[in-house]
Amino acid sequence: MPPIRPSSKRKPPPDGFSDIEEDLLIFSNKMKDAQNAPSDNIPKHQAQWPIFQISHQRSRYIYELYYEKEAISRQLYDWLLKNNYADAALIAKWKKQGYEKLCCLRCIQTKETNFNSTCVCRVPRAQMKGEDREVQCVSCGCRGCASTD
Amino acid sequence: MQPALKSTYKAPPLLPGWTEHKAPTGHTYYYNVETKESTYKRPVATAAPPTAPAASPASSFWQHQAVPQLNLSDPNVANAFMSQYGQPQHQPGQQRGGHGPGQRGGFQARPKPQPVDKPRSKVAIPGHEPWILVYTKYGRRFAYNSTKNTSYWRIPEKLMPAILELDKARIRQKAEGIESDQVAASEEPSRPAAPEQQQKDYDSSEYEEVEVTDDEDGEREDDGHASKRQRTEDLEDAENNGPVEFTEADIAAQLAAMGADYNEDYEMGEGYDDYGQGEAAAPLSETDARELFKDMLSDFNINPYSPWDILLEQGKIVDDPRYTVLPTTKARKEVWEEWSRVKIQELKELRQKQEKKDPRIAYFAMLQEKATPKLYWAEFKRKFKREDCMKDVKMADKDREKWYREYISRLKLPQSALKSDLKKLLESVPLSQLHNRSSTSSLPPAVLTDLRYWSLDTKSRDEFVEGYIAGLGPPPDSTGQQGQEEDEATAKAKEERRKREKALQDRERAVQEEKHRQEKKLQFERARLREEERELERAMQVSKKGLQSQLAPQDA
Repeated sequence: MPPIRPSSKRKPPPDGFSDIEEDLLIFSNKMKDAQNAPSDNIPKHQAQWPIFQISHQRSRYIYELYYEKEAISRQLYDWLLKNNYADAALIAKWKKQGYEKLCCLRCIQTKETNFNSTCVCRVPRAQMKGEDREVQCVSCGCRGCASTD
Repeated sequence: MQPALKSTYKAPPLLPGWTEHKAPTGHTYYYNVETKESTYKRPVATAAPPTAPAASPASSFWQHQAVPQLNLSDPNVANAFMSQYGQPQHQPGQQRGGHGPGQRGGFQARPKPQPVDKPRSKVAIPGHEPWILVYTKYGRRFAYNSTKNTSYWRIPEKLMPAILELDKARIRQKAEGIESDQVAASEEPSRPAAPEQQQKDYDSSEYEEVEVTDDEDGEREDDGHASKRQRTEDLEDAENNGPVEFTEADIAAQLAAMGADYNEDYEMGEGYDDYGQGEAAAPLSETDARELFKDMLSDFNINPYSPWDILLEQGKIVDDPRYTVLPTTKARKEVWEEWSRVKIQELKELRQKQEKKDPRIAYFAMLQEKATPKLYWAEFKRKFKREDCMKDVKMADKDREKWYREYISRLKLPQSALKSDLKKLLESVPLSQLHNRSSTSSLPPAVLTDLRYWSLDTKSRDEFVEGYIAGLGPPPDSTGQQGQEEDEATAKAKEERRKREKALQDRERAVQEEKHRQEKKLQFERARLREEERELERAMQVSKKGLQSQLAPQDA
């Protein structure tokens, strides 16, 4: 394992980081809270939902800043991805047609699922059958992330 | 199944002639058929002391031992008790712990947890000012004295008439809505229905016992029911004797009235105004609404970089009346996106315009202010870690340390050495940057980012620099040239623009001239045409005069 450099010797982040530093701090605090929250009184599969959700929100935040608002530079965006502020693989999916709102990568994983298909949250709401259209998917608690929703 | 055992669970026996009933409010009350009296107080034989143990029989287990002893101690009590055998007992919160088949789990150490009752509505009792009649969630009611801060389930005697008046008034009020006789028919039978059922429930488990022990019991119960049925037929009696029942509708109406009051109160508050503004803002045009929303975002100094979710979580803007000018959250988010995009662009431009200040200048200024040879670098760093320039990521910590050490070592140098160093520094700066027109407040960065400038104390340094500047020559042409170049560039741009404008004017003039010429030509042509026409006309007008004049001389 490479030695971890102290913050004083680390390279400073690219320009513009100070603008978003505060919000990223809020996200990281939320994430810490979610990680440390007790999970004894909730169903086992729900324990990781908040973590998925916060991770999604943070990735979405950086994605929007770079691709939609063009508020941050390419250097900063790359630096953020490199430092795991956002999930690069998830952002890569968002650029594809039909995956614009994808909640998490686990929900499009077809392997090792009961019917070899994607998650229920990928089904467009209009095509959902039955009365209970309000479902939350097991993997991340998503209520529907089809592009048409 | 075991009468003797069962008997131990009984509350102290009632006096003969009294029957126990449960009011719809949840209270037990006692009714005497003969005297047509009803009371909340349990009429017990005065000789019977066991009220105390009966009042607190926490567990049937204890009762099992305690009560027979007491009963045995007094034969009168035992007799009275036997006469009351099989009489239902309604002690709220008290389980009839039984070994009977119908009642399992009777051996609970504690009473079964009762559903939590809560006060629901209240009515001031007229005539007894501090007293309030409070209705609870489960339809029970109690009297509350707000000054003494005491409350009684059993309504005090002195309040009874007032409360009865209240009840009457309420029933009358209700009767106004429905037909009065219908009320009498529908409301009254509902009153005894509940107690009857309850009693039957209680009786069912010990039905055998009733048979076995006493005929009186059954009769009395029947009497009680009969009497109650009688009573239901006359309203007066019911109101005077028993607690009057109020249907759900009654309470609902009461609550609605109270709710209306609250609404009125709320209307007076600011909150409603804000809300109302949002709703009444329908005539506001779409663009105005959007602008208003954007104004609000600007006013709250919202960071355009922060995400929408966090904005909502903070909830600063949600309370603002302008938040409601847009009807949906989707629309709000859209406007926010637009606003943030514009704002970020503005910020970017602003930053580009701002000249970049060297972070070293701030750090050196801080060093001059705070650094002392008494502190090692580590101490200094720890002491001033909160300063902005100590947190600045643009400078490496290593560099900061280096500069600190250098500065401290320079502090130990004599004043004259420092001055000569400063002089050297100033001399190294070209005349184009430092000249007799520059002031001490606007020195070139080459000077400001050098420790030699900062190591002298402020006063003597400024004096020294001023003196040095005064001795300098005027700025050479190079600086002027630069300015001239800039001027030339702008002038060129201006010239070009003027040229363009002039060309435009010229073109316009040319066009107008052309137009003018054409018009002239047209007029000329027209004039010519007219002349020709006239000539023709003239030609056509041939008179005989000419011929005659010709002929006449020939003839002559």
